[in-house]
Amino acid sequence: MLETRAFEPDFLRRLDRLVLGVRRARSVRTGQRTIGRVQGLGIEPENFKEYAPGDDLRFLDWNAFARLDDLLIRTYRAERQVEITVMLDASASMGLPARDDKFGLARALAATFAYIGMAENDAVRIAAFGSHRDGVKIRSTPFFRRREQYQMFRPFLSELKCFGETRLSAAVGEFLLQRRTAGVLILISDCLVNQTDFEEALEHLIGAHHEVKLIHVMGEMESAGSYPPGLYRVRDAESGAMRDVAFGPQLAETCRGKVAAISERVRDFCISRGTIYSQAFGARHLDAILERELPRLGVIR
Amino acid sequence: MDALRQVGLLNPDNLLWAISIAILLAIYLRSRSRPTLEVSSLLLFDEAPAPAARVRHLRIDPLFWLEAAILGAIALALAGLYLRTAPAAAQGKTRALVFDLAAGMDAREGGGTRLDLAKKNALGIIDAAPERDRFILIGYALEAEMIHSETANHDSLRKAISEMRASAVAHRPAAQSAALMRARAAGEVDLFADRRPSDSILADAGLSARLHFHQAGSPAENLAIVSLDPGIPNISRGHAALKNFGRKPRVCELAIDGAGKTVFDRSLILAPGEQAMVPFGPLTSGGLVHARLVSPDALAADNERYTYAPMDVAANVIVLSPDAVVRDDIARVLLAVNSNFIITAADPAKFTAIDEYSLAVMHDCYIPSVKARAILLVFPPASVSAVADLRITGTIPAAQLTGQGRPNANTTPTFLGPTRRINVPGWMTVKASGAVPGMHEMIPMVAVGSLPSGNLGLLSFDIRDHLLLDPDRLDALVATVELIRELTAPTQLQIVSTGAFLAIPAPRDARIVTPDGSSIPASRDKWGRLRIRPLQAGHYSVESISQKVDIYANYYDAAESDLSGYSVPSATMAAKYTTAVDSISGPKQLRPVSMLLILLALLAMIVESALLLRNARRWGLRHV
Repeated sequence: MLETRAFEPDFLRRLDRLVLGVRRARSVRTGQRTIGRVQGLGIEPENFKEYAPGDDLRFLDWNAFARLDDLLIRTYRAERQVEITVMLDASASMGLPARDDKFGLARALAATFAYIGMAENDAVRIAAFGSHRDGVKIRSTPFFRRREQYQMFRPFLSELKCFGETRLSAAVGEFLLQRRTAGVLILISDCLVNQTDFEEALEHLIGAHHEVKLIHVMGEMESAGSYPPGLYRVRDAESGAMRDVAFGPQLAETCRGKVAAISERVRDFCISRGTIYSQAFGARHLDAILERELPRLGVIR
Repeated sequence: MDALRQVGLLNPDNLLWAISIAILLAIYLRSRSRPTLEVSSLLLFDEAPAPAARVRHLRIDPLFWLEAAILGAIALALAGLYLRTAPAAAQGKTRALVFDLAAGMDAREGGGTRLDLAKKNALGIIDAAPERDRFILIGYALEAEMIHSETANHDSLRKAISEMRASAVAHRPAAQSAALMRARAAGEVDLFADRRPSDSILADAGLSARLHFHQAGSPAENLAIVSLDPGIPNISRGHAALKNFGRKPRVCELAIDGAGKTVFDRSLILAPGEQAMVPFGPLTSGGLVHARLVSPDALAADNERYTYAPMDVAANVIVLSPDAVVRDDIARVLLAVNSNFIITAADPAKFTAIDEYSLAVMHDCYIPSVKARAILLVFPPASVSAVADLRITGTIPAAQLTGQGRPNANTTPTFLGPTRRINVPGWMTVKASGAVPGMHEMIPMVAVGSLPSGNLGLLSFDIRDHLLLDPDRLDALVATVELIRELTAPTQLQIVSTGAFLAIPAPRDARIVTPDGSSIPASRDKWGRLRIRPLQAGHYSVESISQKVDIYANYYDAAESDLSGYSVPSATMAAKYTTAVDSISGPKQLRPVSMLLILLALLAMIVESALLLRNARRWGLRHV
């Protein structure tokens, strides 16, 4: 399975110097009153600015005042307290077509981003969601901060199974009920869910001040519609609905068009909400995907 | 139900064929169905056009239909298809008349017996039946017997019925079941018996729907002599056990004769269901003892009983064994059987044969020079092969004494020690056999036979370690005592139970005079024995030119002699009986159509071949 590659030393060595760029580098502590720009509370000086009424006098640089007779406020770089959650779609659709190893690709990407996220000792966890008859179920690892702990993700990922319907908005709702500090959320999904559900989910995440990065995963055969030709009765893995189709070049073309349409719609929505959208189609192209998509996802060297 | 099971799908073979057809059909349907493919989401196929519906038409090809017809016909023939049809009017019905011929049917009923009553009923049925109706006549007591095979000759049937006689034996349930099973081929079965068969027997026979039970007789009072022990002449008293099977107190007169003299004659009162032990004697001399109930009752066969009292004369017995303890044990048993025995015990290594003995018991040794009128070989050594055809093939460390002719013998096998494996010759009768633990092999354990020089008895098991005195292995002692009694009994007098098989040595063919005075010629077998099975209680006489053997057959069976029970026919049985008599059209018959189907299949194959030949000619082919 592809996810094992994400734990190979050679693969990890290439990721060693990569850092996940975080747009909101400061965390907002509960109960802290903030006016205007959020003041950093770290110990590393970042800059100076002229004093303005209301600034905290504790940060006034008295030495500079003595030398220059100007009131300057010293600013600090905030301590990074970002929580990174890699949210993995583990619904039944992720397991099909089996030949595509779509779920393997998704797990490899999840592990990759967890590793990159740990570069700055940020708290990283991987959560997977699917749904049962009773409702949505989210399984999650604890937060890990150091790369020495990276191997702790391995048993979790290898034991994951695809099950149930996608129900993205319900999963997000369940996730937000955990009331964690807003952080970075990398959502890996095939987005084979109705557009309303998808949009609602994303709106909720953004509304909760999460920095969302979406990785749209699809299988190679699935996205190309290259099924073995002939008359088939196809069954939806999630809903169980069936219909008759005749696979062939015509249907492959239709499939490709449909996938393109879904991708475009999702991308447009992400862009409109300031969310990063990235495509990962085809498990065979993991290296190419990483090379192409990592910069887009804000990974910096 | 059994008929259905035989020809219908309840028969496992037929069911298997039917399932195979279903599997073939399933394979065919499966091949016609479209493969199902699981996909991640039908969203991807929203805009896919629906495939053009392609209707598959079956091609009207005569060859295909012929093949289908052949396969169908063969499959249905193998599955045992049958038709339920009304019996053909011209053929008539087949009825089986099944008679109980056990002792109970000989009980007095009105002016005749229960069997006479049953015969009258049966003759009534035959008289009322149309000429074309066919009958089977079956009787049972110890075994089921086809008295008259299926016939439409009613006169012959009436004659066979009138000649039937009840035996002084108890009916065996297995024989009753076998008789009813033999009657299964008939459309209707009429059972004439004095008691209703058990439900399990009816269920086994599968006749519940077609059986008409005719109760013969009504409850009757009966007394029986259960057993007769002569005691030891001049020493101990004898005992006669009497039982009253009635529901009222009964007065009866019991008379006992010994050696031609009446030794007991007294009237007794027996309470309802009481079994009384009546002492008499001690007898003054040995010989035949005859007890009889003088008062008449319903069943005569169990009113007489014979036994033999040992003669009050001294008899010399030699006991030879290398083991002193065994010699002592055998001497004790011999004295218990007959206190008049004068027993000499000796070690065979130190024994010199001089005198002549009445009985010689040899344990683990054989001395041919011993002269005795009867010899009992116990655990004989290999040297015994000197005796005609008796051959020791080995010794096994342990054996189970199983078959001993007694009702409980098979249920409680007795474990014995070392036992000789002996090839018993044909002139000997095996009285009890045994099993080798862990093997499915039966070996003779107790046997007896006659030689010109005298009787020979055989016990193949070792009796060391006080086996004969072990209370846990009483069967071994009982077998030994019975064998000693048989060996020491006079050869010209035998007392047996009715139904027992007897082998009597005879120098030439003889005549057997039965208790009712009729005479039957009897031929010897290759070992010079006459084989007899007395089925009447009383005195049989086997007479040839040079000798005469008297056989006294005793009958008693607690269940058969109890005539107080009366199984009232249930309402449904009565209704069935009425239907049987009044109804003209019988039940529908099951008619297998396998042959017809096979003929159809053959016909279809011929037509198919003709079509193929025609096609071949049309296409200019030389072969198909």
